[in-house]
Amino acid sequence: MSALLNVNKMTHYFGGLRAVYNYNLNIKPHQITGLIGPNGAGKTTIFNLITGVYTPTEGSITLENKSIKGLETNEIAARGLGRTFQNLALWRHMNVLDHIKMAHYSQLSYGLIGSFFNTSKCREQESRVEENSYRLLELFDIKQHADQIVTNLPYGAQRRVEMARAMATNPKILFLDEPTAGMTPDELGQMIKIIRKVHQDFKVAIFLIEHRMKFVMELCQHIQTLVFGELIAEGPPEEIQNNPEVIEAYLGKEDLT
Amino acid sequence: MEIARKFKNTFSNVPMLGWLLGVLAAVLIEYYWGYDYISYYLGLPKIPVLFGTLIMLKDPMMIPGVIGYDLIVYVIPILLIAKASNFFTNPVAAILEKTPLWLSAIIHLIFFYGVLHLWAGINDYRVLVVKLTMISIILTISINVINGYQGEFSCSHPGFMAIGAYISSIITLYFFVNDKTFGAAVLSPDLGPWLFPFALIAGGIGASLGSLLVAVPSFRTRGDYLAIISLAFMFIIKSAIENLNVIGGARGMGGQPDYAPLPIIFIWTMLCIWVVHNFVTSIMGKALNAVRDDEAASESMTVKTRKTKMTAFMFGAFWAGIAGGLFAHVLAYINPGMFSINRLAEILAMVYFGGLNSIIGSIVGAVSINVLGEALRPLELFKWIIIPLILILVMIFRPYGLISFKEINAKKLLRAKHKREQGA
Amino acid sequence: MESLIELGQFILQNLINALQRGSFYAVISIGYSMVYGVLMLFNFAHGDIFMVATYIGFGIATLFLALFAGFLPGPLIFLATVVITMFLASWVGVFVEVAGYRPLRSAPRASAAITGLMIGIIFETGILILLGAKRLSFPPLMESISYNVGGIYFTNVKVMIIVISLLLMLALHTFIQKTKWGMAMRAMSYDFLAVPLMGVSINIIAPLTFAVGAGLAAVAGILYGQAYPILDPYMGVIIGWKAFVAAILGGRGSIKGAALAGYLIGFIEIFVATIFPSTLRDLIAYSIILLILTFRPRGFFGMEHSTKLRL
Ligand SMILES: Nc1ncnc2c1ncn2[C@@H]1O[C@H](COP(=O)(O)OP(=O)(O)O)[C@@H](O)[C@H]1O
Ligand SMILES: [Mg+2]
Repeated sequence: MSALLNVNKMTHYFGGLRAVYNYNLNIKPHQITGLIGPNGAGKTTIFNLITGVYTPTEGSITLENKSIKGLETNEIAARGLGRTFQNLALWRHMNVLDHIKMAHYSQLSYGLIGSFFNTSKCREQESRVEENSYRLLELFDIKQHADQIVTNLPYGAQRRVEMARAMATNPKILFLDEPTAGMTPDELGQMIKIIRKVHQDFKVAIFLIEHRMKFVMELCQHIQTLVFGELIAEGPPEEIQNNPEVIEAYLGKEDLT
Repeated sequence: MEIARKFKNTFSNVPMLGWLLGVLAAVLIEYYWGYDYISYYLGLPKIPVLFGTLIMLKDPMMIPGVIGYDLIVYVIPILLIAKASNFFTNPVAAILEKTPLWLSAIIHLIFFYGVLHLWAGINDYRVLVVKLTMISIILTISINVINGYQGEFSCSHPGFMAIGAYISSIITLYFFVNDKTFGAAVLSPDLGPWLFPFALIAGGIGASLGSLLVAVPSFRTRGDYLAIISLAFMFIIKSAIENLNVIGGARGMGGQPDYAPLPIIFIWTMLCIWVVHNFVTSIMGKALNAVRDDEAASESMTVKTRKTKMTAFMFGAFWAGIAGGLFAHVLAYINPGMFSINRLAEILAMVYFGGLNSIIGSIVGAVSINVLGEALRPLELFKWIIIPLILILVMIFRPYGLISFKEINAKKLLRAKHKREQGA
Repeated sequence: MESLIELGQFILQNLINALQRGSFYAVISIGYSMVYGVLMLFNFAHGDIFMVATYIGFGIATLFLALFAGFLPGPLIFLATVVITMFLASWVGVFVEVAGYRPLRSAPRASAAITGLMIGIIFETGILILLGAKRLSFPPLMESISYNVGGIYFTNVKVMIIVISLLLMLALHTFIQKTKWGMAMRAMSYDFLAVPLMGVSINIIAPLTFAVGAGLAAVAGILYGQAYPILDPYMGVIIGWKAFVAAILGGRGSIKGAALAGYLIGFIEIFVATIFPSTLRDLIAYSIILLILTFRPRGFFGMEHSTKLRL
């Protein structure tokens, strides 16, 4: 009940390849959910299916009890699903501030004519967006990079830009695809702090894919384990950690730290 | 390098107003003494039209005279006046700085136009070069919206231009001119110049609608395929016009009324720069960049990518249509052959030379290629070796063009410069 | 009955013409496709390389005819012209790669496209400056004999053009499938990064590809000179663009596709021109191309890329 996001019996095929099978998900407001599983299990595909990059072959997806299946990605994003990408997907010629401003796109109403003639409505909305963007930059500790082209930033900062950008869409649920991929243990600790802070300050629900168990166990209230596109276990962290199937299918082979 | 730095230092406190004043002085000198005294004593046959490059290339004996002329008429007066006048241009600039930016910009533009008008007014050839250059500026900016800001490789620009040129010509010929294709004028010719903007806009809208044929395929493909689709579009427009005998077919269409004098073209050019600048610096416009750099990420950040692509094409095509309409009314003759591969090569050269994703870049590109093209005219064929070579060098050393990813900052451009001196 | 035979004759007659025309497009468009396969860009100077190659062929043919016409058999002169022209033209290809494209290997692809276009303009102007505006005419390398088989007219030249083009493509196929260099090219089409691992440098494969493309264009040029003897510095623009269109229609990087699409364009052109007024030729031809690309955006044999990027 009172689920924010509900995915029911979702299945997806890529041609003949069954990438996701009979997948269910229930995200409650302000909950942090984790999705773990070996490489190629279909985790990113699940993100893409929910956010509308692909339309699932079968199953239903509802956000606040309204179906979002089949909508365009930008509409789904505007309804409150913000995301980051496993391999950074930043705009390589754009500076940091513009990244954050851009993500306010759906919140603008001045229209093309407004932008052509720089109407007062346009100026007003743009300055409001700019203000909000600076606030976000500060929060994610990248304000000092505001004018820099994003590709000139250190890796950790780029990850934070991506998160700040996702938050600028004003999401109800934040999807994080391996937010710590390629990070040093130091940066990892910092990332945990940032995610906690986002969770506290914005009161969002978070759905994250992660490889590192420590990270997932520390952050998530609920964890799903995916193998070959199918869920093999889900529950609170302690339960998952001790689930023999999970240990065999996933934890046994992978690095536990 | 040392000299360049010194030079920059010396003139760093000259505001835009000072430069304009310097140029005004130069133009006045040319206007009053250029022919009677200066070129006469330097042994030049007449006032050199484009800083003397034409005469120089035709007759190398004239080189000293031309250099002397350029120094006496342009370089020395401009530098002297600009530097010497800054005791009052800076305070005036400071006063203007306190007025709203638009007012200050308009005052500068009027001043600039006055100087340009005087300079061009020396002879008809200059007027034509200036007119065509400004039309090229509109064209280059408009293709930059599609090929630079939106990052598609579109080759359909001559087609858009043709649509605009033909639609606006048909309207003006039909309504305001007694001619053999469309018969007697429907409205009073006196109304023509006043209604001409609507004819241009109709041409622009026509081009916009035509661009949908290229924009819609761009949802699914980009790069080389779009290049071909847009190229096919260009050929289709060209040969469609060739087969439309009502509008002259391959022979073309002439007799357009002279509704495009210098000030009108200047106004349209400035309007284009202003509107495109507003657009590309707004979030709506930067969405073009976002879609170009990563379409998937843009969608996930709520950007409507299809609408964005469509906007880029329609907006770019609109201005190409306007440029086409002005072009038709400057030359008073058009034919489908004018809107083909050669025009495409020229437009692409201007935009990639000047710089992608930048309005200043486009202005620089359009002006350089036009002036270079005119200046090297005496070299005849060799011109078509030199210009491509220059372009290749630019591509090798600055793959995005001379000035890329840079926008105009009017405030910075127009501000007073005296504070700097104390700061430094 | 009578009219049916006439229709058959009409179709066959045009089929031969279309095959001849398509042969040029096919052979030239392969040059575009090969370069695309290796460097992931279209060599927009290729049409003009074809033009330069034709002029080289013209020079060699004129020279050889003047020197040996009396005492060497015609086919031998023909063969010698082809071989020498191919050799010289391939150096033009190498030059274009080394001087024009190599400095731009890491630049945006649009810059490379512009460079290609500019090299093309330089070639056109260069020829104009060297040879002036006078119209040169390619000397016939063999005596033209007309045949009439069942009401269908054709010449030995036409047959030769069609057959040599097919043989050429067969030879290319063998080269790509069987030789070390050909295999390296193929590997590069699949995976840009794999090739350095195979121990073959891109700095060898790329000019080689340009050379092969230019060599093909040289043969096409000589054959073209036999069918349409008037030379023109801008001949490469028109034919080059159409061959480029064929390369796209075939599917980028696909040599088989390029060849087939080359023939297809020949067919479209010839049949459109015989059925409709000639002024409509381009209009209809390009509309058909636009339609094909709308429904098959990747061409006939293009590699399938997901439209939405892999995330
Ligand atoms: N667009 C696609 N087309 C075809 N197969 C895909 C596509 N995207 C992902 N796959 C396949 O689906 C499987 C799951 O991939 P992915 O969701 O990226 O795994 P994970 O994120 O768990 O590592 C993989 O076998 C992958 O190759
Ligand atoms: Mg993944």
